[in-house]
Amino acid sequence: MSKKNFSIMAMALLTTLFIISAASAESLKIGSMSPLTGPYASDGTDIKNGVLTAIEVFQKQEGGIPGYDKIELFPQDDVCDPRNAVAAANKLINLKVVGVIGAYCSSCTIPASETLDEAKIVMITPASTNEQVTDRGLPYMFRMCGRDDDQAPAAAKFMKESLNAKTIFIIDDKTTYSQGLADGVSKNCKALGMNVVTHDHVNQGDKDFSAVLTKVKAANPDILYMSLQGYSPAALMSIQAKRMGIASQIVTQDAVFQPKFMEVAKEASEGVYLTYGFTDPTTPEYKAFEQIYVPKYGKIAAYATYAYDSTIALLKAIKAAGSTDPDKIKAELMKLDFNGASKHVKFKENGDSGSSYIAFKVVKGEFVPYWEPTKGLIK
Amino acid sequence: MDSFIQQLINGITLGGIYALIALGYTMVYGVIQLINFAHGEFFAAGGYVGVIFLSFFTGLGYMETHPIFCLTASFALAMMYCAYLAIGVEKIAYKPLRKEARLAALLSALGVSIFLSNGLMLTQGVYDKAYPSELFQGGFSFGIITIGYLQVLIVCLTGALLVALNLLVFKTKIGMAMRATAQDKTMSALVAIGSNKIISLTFGIGAGLAAAAGIMVGLYYGSVRYDMGFLPGIKAFSAAVLGGIGNITGAMLGGLIIGMVEIFGAGYISGEYKDVFAFIILIGVLYFKPTGIMGENIDDTRV
Amino acid sequence: MIQEFKKIWKQYAITMLWLLGLLWPLLGIHPDGTISFKQTITVWLYILSGTFICFIIYIINSSGNLKFFTEPVVNTSEKLNNMVQNMPSWIWKSVLLIGAVLYPLLTGRYPTDVAINVLLYICLGLGLYVVAGLAGMLDLGHIAFYGVGAYTYAILNVRYGIGFWVCFPLAGLSACIAGCIVGYPTLRMRGDYLAIVTLGFGEIVRIILNNWMSLTNGPNGILGVKTIGILRPVMENGFSFEIFWVKKLEYFYYFALVLAILTIIAVTRINFSRIGRALEAIREDETAAELMGVNTFYYKLLAYAMGAVFAGFAGALFAARMKFVSPESFTFLESVMVLSMVVLGGMSSIPGIILGVIALIVLPEVFRELESYRMLVFGLTMIIMMLFRPSGLIAAKRKKMMEKKS
Repeated sequence: MSKKNFSIMAMALLTTLFIISAASAESLKIGSMSPLTGPYASDGTDIKNGVLTAIEVFQKQEGGIPGYDKIELFPQDDVCDPRNAVAAANKLINLKVVGVIGAYCSSCTIPASETLDEAKIVMITPASTNEQVTDRGLPYMFRMCGRDDDQAPAAAKFMKESLNAKTIFIIDDKTTYSQGLADGVSKNCKALGMNVVTHDHVNQGDKDFSAVLTKVKAANPDILYMSLQGYSPAALMSIQAKRMGIASQIVTQDAVFQPKFMEVAKEASEGVYLTYGFTDPTTPEYKAFEQIYVPKYGKIAAYATYAYDSTIALLKAIKAAGSTDPDKIKAELMKLDFNGASKHVKFKENGDSGSSYIAFKVVKGEFVPYWEPTKGLIK
Repeated sequence: MDSFIQQLINGITLGGIYALIALGYTMVYGVIQLINFAHGEFFAAGGYVGVIFLSFFTGLGYMETHPIFCLTASFALAMMYCAYLAIGVEKIAYKPLRKEARLAALLSALGVSIFLSNGLMLTQGVYDKAYPSELFQGGFSFGIITIGYLQVLIVCLTGALLVALNLLVFKTKIGMAMRATAQDKTMSALVAIGSNKIISLTFGIGAGLAAAAGIMVGLYYGSVRYDMGFLPGIKAFSAAVLGGIGNITGAMLGGLIIGMVEIFGAGYISGEYKDVFAFIILIGVLYFKPTGIMGENIDDTRV
Repeated sequence: MIQEFKKIWKQYAITMLWLLGLLWPLLGIHPDGTISFKQTITVWLYILSGTFICFIIYIINSSGNLKFFTEPVVNTSEKLNNMVQNMPSWIWKSVLLIGAVLYPLLTGRYPTDVAINVLLYICLGLGLYVVAGLAGMLDLGHIAFYGVGAYTYAILNVRYGIGFWVCFPLAGLSACIAGCIVGYPTLRMRGDYLAIVTLGFGEIVRIILNNWMSLTNGPNGILGVKTIGILRPVMENGFSFEIFWVKKLEYFYYFALVLAILTIIAVTRINFSRIGRALEAIREDETAAELMGVNTFYYKLLAYAMGAVFAGFAGALFAARMKFVSPESFTFLESVMVLSMVVLGGMSSIPGIILGVIALIVLPEVFRELESYRMLVFGLTMIIMMLFRPSGLIAAKRKKMMEKKS
């Protein structure tokens, strides 16, 4: 190949990109962003599945959106990498989507939302709990899940009041989410008069936690607080803790709310506590979601429910607005007041939707609601 | 003191796992001087095939009646599967590039690595797969120190494989052929050594070792995951280089050192910087001994 | 036709059977103790039919039966080639430049965004080219310098409010210092030992970025990095300057373009300078080079420093563009990708590396439609590209040019 052919090839490659980004008309387009490959592919796939279920349910229950034949989803892979997330956001802008559900990692949501904001596209994150997501004051940024600074006090209160803990050992795995939460828990526990023995760290992708667990065993705290991103490291750590004979009670957080946790950790998962937004599985909204989701994708995981609610909220707002104008959609989103599958959805001024963290306990391979901040133990 | 001994045991176990992966790495490198990025994926594939067969046997109910047979069969099948995979990969992706620049094969190996880990993800699902039974879950207890049966098994297996591989390479005809191929392919072809066969064999053995490591890791940690090959792959590569790449005893030594440094770094200094300590030791050793601990002096043609 | 390609057919058949054997244990053995073949066969048939079509096209093409189609294409491209060849080089260069300048105007946001990535990675790739291509030192940690550059700008800007134009050279400087720190202990090592040490340094930098909370804000990253500001003359109310913040993607594209062009010019100059020749001598035979009076220590360190500077500049621009930096952008995999771009481009040809960068940045974007199959196809493409063009997309041209000149 000659040097001159090079320019032709380069142009050809870049043009392909241009052609590919054109898409069909007459459908309402929404986008989703989550890691579909890479280490967080499992959570990312849950999000995508939740959004797909929501579209199906919405079309069935509300008969779609007037003026459009169908609702089309463009799921984008962000690999939990900021550069990819911004590229995905720009691609969605080019596709002229009306709203975006995503992203998973806070470090993707933050730069991607800046980009989407330039094009005035509504973004609802089902999973990024970092405070900075909504604290930057972006007008089109909404959040369906809770915030780290809501979860941390709830967790601390639970450990103090329900478990009567005096000493606590915190481990996080150095991600935006896990570290932010661990810092919050540490601060809240100290404020409640508990003794934070150590706040230690492991790295993402680690499998062997024996070094840090040996320290836990030597310290013998009342509580081992695992702030780990995803059920996978949490399951590994519970297994190893059990094998080492650590007597401390294990408390963890909402990222672990995934039935695979019990499947992997088996007996080691018994008696593990975790904080997660209260979800009533008996409501008709939850049943509607469950009916479609479970046969297709299996057991329901943490972020699938939030992704489902985010999508329903977005579609409801679009329908009510009767147009795809972002400001009208935003206005309708702010007016929304309905029961979702995970919780009662009502957005606050900054885009947060509040949270209702309660504690769950793993009993016989199931997450069972255990404690509530206001009422105490749930019978 | 108690926790020091416990950490020592932890370190030996982790080191043993790294050594087990590094043994295969270093063998392949020794023969064709290729940094096989896909080795970590062979390891992951071994773990997956192991769990597939173990749960298959559990499903059939043989696990309770013949546990030893099932375990041996799963090990053998997984090792065979990975050997089969590796030999095929070598024929498709590496062999045509053997005469080209070495970096071409490196890039191809990277492609294979990305392909295999995503292939595993797509065929086996994005979720972790749990190992079916609580095999060997017990352990010895001395006061506060506990040693799991599996930890003992890992260390013993690593040691046994080390001896066996050294015997294979230095005491048998095949080993002699391997060493000959490693030194000069043309020359060994002249004395009627089929270098293609030897390379295939080496790949097969290397991947088989990786598969064994995969099952051990699966049993020890309780689950496997599609991307589990990546980090141990890098660590094992570091271990192999630290010990002097191409040298089997060196790989074992390197694995143990890296495992120990990680555990003691995390246990006594700081958990988040443990990889930094491992890499600093690596850089330090290579600075004073640029060919690794047991590496021979490389001549210019090798690099 | 079948006779001629008997050998290839046989290989193809064996490969497909191998694949079947590979797939079955993964798809056909179930944990409940049952065995099935249906799913395996279905998946396999999909793959079979897909590859079969490609294979047939390949065979028809190589047996010359596709001439009616390929001939006109080849002819026109050859004619075009000849035409271009006879033109002075400034013409096609300016055509390329005009194309690059008009690109964001002709396309949308998304292609522009990808093009910015391409331009930034061209700087990275060319920086690595100086280290790996010219001096022959295998560097698996090049992304660290990119990270150092990005964080230098982000920290100086957010903490101390220093503007882009002051930070830009500082980013290059700090990357250069990092390059010297990495370069110094590695000078004694060769080949794969060097590769592992650079990998180590790359990981160390990333881990430090992820853990030094007080400086880098750890995994949260640094938020609110200011974009580039330029002084724009204003004619109203007399002549004065006002700061104009580069916010639009298109304007940003031009900054990246200018940086990439400057990098291309600089690396071309290095390539054909005394330094370039010295580095190549070191690559070919270090001992001989030293014998001929090349100060290998100095030149190798210089290669590291230069490679790092380009990466640092690109990093500063990256931080300004994302307005946010976090350690996730600087992983080992990114380093490997940059090295792959250089290798794919042919190790020692600048246009080749540019093409390699374009291929490895654009392909994953093209495959976006495939969702979770994206990286699978990408890995496969990498293998195939290497098998068909083992010496890179554009092999080195130096020898020919030397002949021409003499």
